[in-house]
Amino acid sequence: MPLNILIVDDSAVMRSMILKSLRMADLDIEAAHQATNGLEGLSILNAHPIDIDIVIVDINMPVMNGEEMIQRMKENEKTKNIPILVISTEGSQIRKEALRRQGVAFIHKPFSPEQIRDTMNAMVGRT
Amino acid sequence: MTDQIAEAKETIYQVAEDVLEKLAFLFSFREEERGPMDYGSAVVASVSFTGQFKGRLLMAVSSEMLPELAANMLGIEEETSPEEQRDALKELINVICGNLLPEIAGRKQLFNVNTPRILPSGEIEAIISDKNPAATAKLALEEGQCDLILYLDDAGPGVSLEPETPEP
Repeated sequence: MPLNILIVDDSAVMRSMILKSLRMADLDIEAAHQATNGLEGLSILNAHPIDIDIVIVDINMPVMNGEEMIQRMKENEKTKNIPILVISTEGSQIRKEALRRQGVAFIHKPFSPEQIRDTMNAMVGRT
Repeated sequence: MTDQIAEAKETIYQVAEDVLEKLAFLFSFREEERGPMDYGSAVVASVSFTGQFKGRLLMAVSSEMLPELAANMLGIEEETSPEEQRDALKELINVICGNLLPEIAGRKQLFNVNTPRILPSGEIEAIISDKNPAATAKLALEEGQCDLILYLDDAGPGVSLEPETPEP
């Protein structure tokens, strides 16, 4: 089944790179919503909570960062079970372990299309 | 030059070469012997950080390299807009800085990396004339140059980077 995804990153170039990687990885994407920060991302999720299959989110963003967005998603009954993939430069093991404890997948920048494909397939049970 | 500065410089080189190749598909070559770039004909991005130590990283890239850099990152052959070019440089310095700090300080350290920005020319001169960098890496790109300059405001405990002194 084609995936509906939400990409949340303040860099338009990085959002394009993620989209390009998804296409190169032959992932079947029906719709790719985009947001430039966590607040915009939550707004899109509130408008389409059931439609979004995976949220791809950066950590360092202005207005609302990725950690706060994830926290708010986990507190909301409608969004708490949506799979989340963090794509970030975050290098701290402490932060990465905290994210993993919340069930969040993590890919380090720079990344390859294969990493995204394998991680997303695992997240939606297509291994 | 202390061993610590040499290590930091080597780390900047390694991280920058790796990120430029993987993210922008650009091969770079070390240009240790040349002087600093002409920052007046470059686009310079800056990102500040706090954590075990705080400071900022500057990344200067020859203006003529930016269109290719942005097009490579976006995977397109069409001409890129100035906004896309600036955004590409900001993303590059963001990824380099995010990878650099744990390499220098260790992966158990927490850092907050702020949003990168493009510096106006007046601010570049003020920063460069204000203090000596902790380490500088000078790279040749295919048709241009790239300088990465690390400034530390306050080296905390366990961090022994010292300001680099100019060669006599």
